[in-house]
Amino acid sequence: MSWQDIVTASPFVVGVLTAAAILIVDLIRPGKTPVAVLTALVGLAITGLLTVVVGASVAAGDTPSTAFGGSYQVDALTTFLDLLFVAVIAMTILFGPDYFLPRGLPIAEFAAILVFAMTGAMLISAAADLLVLFIGLELMVLPGYLLAGFHKSDSYSTEGAIKYFLLGSFSSAIFLFGLAYVWGLTGSLRFNVIAEHLTTMATGAVALSPGLAIGLAFLTTGVAFKIAAVPFHYWTPDAYQGSPTPVTGYLSVLPKIGAFALILRLFVEALGPLADWWLPVVIVLATITMTLGNLVALTQDNVKRMLAYSSIAHTGYMLVGLAAWAQDPGVDGIGALLFYGVAYAFMNLGAFAVIAALQKRTGVTSSLGTFAGLGRREPIMAILMTLFLLSLIGIPPTAGFLAKAGIILAAVEAGGPLTILAVIMVVNAAVAAFYYLRVVVYMFMRDAPSEMPALRHGGLLWGGLAAAAALTILLGLFPTGLLEAASEAAQSIVGQPPT
Amino acid sequence: MSGSLDAYLILAGLLFAIGSFGFLARRNAISMLMSIELMLNAVNLSIVAFGAFGTDAAMAAQGSVVALMVIAVAAAEATVGLAIVIAIYRNKRTPLVDEYDAMSQ
Repeated sequence: MSWQDIVTASPFVVGVLTAAAILIVDLIRPGKTPVAVLTALVGLAITGLLTVVVGASVAAGDTPSTAFGGSYQVDALTTFLDLLFVAVIAMTILFGPDYFLPRGLPIAEFAAILVFAMTGAMLISAAADLLVLFIGLELMVLPGYLLAGFHKSDSYSTEGAIKYFLLGSFSSAIFLFGLAYVWGLTGSLRFNVIAEHLTTMATGAVALSPGLAIGLAFLTTGVAFKIAAVPFHYWTPDAYQGSPTPVTGYLSVLPKIGAFALILRLFVEALGPLADWWLPVVIVLATITMTLGNLVALTQDNVKRMLAYSSIAHTGYMLVGLAAWAQDPGVDGIGALLFYGVAYAFMNLGAFAVIAALQKRTGVTSSLGTFAGLGRREPIMAILMTLFLLSLIGIPPTAGFLAKAGIILAAVEAGGPLTILAVIMVVNAAVAAFYYLRVVVYMFMRDAPSEMPALRHGGLLWGGLAAAAALTILLGLFPTGLLEAASEAAQSIVGQPPT
Repeated sequence: MSGSLDAYLILAGLLFAIGSFGFLARRNAISMLMSIELMLNAVNLSIVAFGAFGTDAAMAAQGSVVALMVIAVAAAEATVGLAIVIAIYRNKRTPLVDEYDAMSQ
């Protein structure tokens, strides 16, 4: 380990130090929410800044792109994803106090656990080695189990946590089993060596060896659990509904995008030569995931549970982007996937933040009835919720529209079975509009059963909501910069598309 | 077939299968946790076997390192899991996962 290694990995290091700093600050000034939040936000700002600086320095060739003997790498994808992770965690911390303080739950621990989870996601996006990838995955999901059960005296919260934990650890064990076989049969932990080894095997026109097939099957199953793809999604509705609402927003975004980062690193970078073998599985998973997610969401009366199923459907849409690349590497399906990830992160976080805001008054449930008459009671909140829901449907000029359009275009361009997948996705998007709009109807066209006074929301919450709303609109109106960054990040792992 | 990689992999596969069966069949949260530990240790066995029978010395070293890391991760996972089981036991007064069905009603 040298100083150079630390410099290359500095965003990750500062992330870990930030989490430690929050804990130390809370030890010195226990229960002081503003101090803890400020520490977290300053630390996250430094992490974000360092990510940009290190990314630029690596791109210019001033800093080595790998560290720790080649097991840690920084490329355009790392920088892109790390910035997204920092933004997601910062927003989640902003949404926390309004929900947790009335319930007497500590903010400092919440922020520290969130930042630890972020470092796990950052480790995944920077992994160049199977072991680092696995440690990053565990570092990302273990804090998630704790956060799901954060309201420990609430039976829903602990129930969600134990279901999330049991199925999460089960899937981690399955994933690790696959990892062991891929390592054992290719003889290397490094992604580039594995890819080289598999390339010679794939071009030699030999069939997949049974051991590698087992490994690939277990890895696919493990990852499908993590991204909540149907039929491995059973933990999702309960974990999302039971968790405290700001945590649900976090769970629906960061672990999912982190797991997609893992897919990009593992399936595209290391197992890319086997794409012909995993493509059919991804196509089937994408089809049933978006269809079932949307169909079940139609029947839900609890908005949190409905958004849980909707997030399953969104997983399916993102898988279409992956399939488009695997079908035809000349298509920028991965760039479309990354753009979708960013758009999804902000609109979904925003929608959950509105639910969290309404639940500031303890005892308010997340059922559809809570939204009745919201348009009259709290017009700004209702308009924001409408914006996020319209973006989730994919209506222009929001970010969600361009994200969906990008994925569908990539699928059509890739051709073959992907054309059918694109049609299924369009039909799904139309079906999804129904259950999202149902909330809008409740907000503006139903009267509340009993008149509730409007709530006073904290400045942090408004700040976070404003940021999420601004990003949702601005990414829809001026997407050029992000689109370029996304395709640059995609090219850093799949290489320049042949023109 | 003793002394070959296959023997160890079959043993590891059997242990993994027993662990998976325990996870799916048992309804006690603690038993499910133990089953997961069994699965992780089965993976560890196959990792160490791959390392020991590997083609070069680097693989043997890697095998040991990966196995140690997996042990550490399994310990962390068990800690979090037991904490969650204790928290839900205080709320529900039962370790049986079948009774944790408040949300599906």
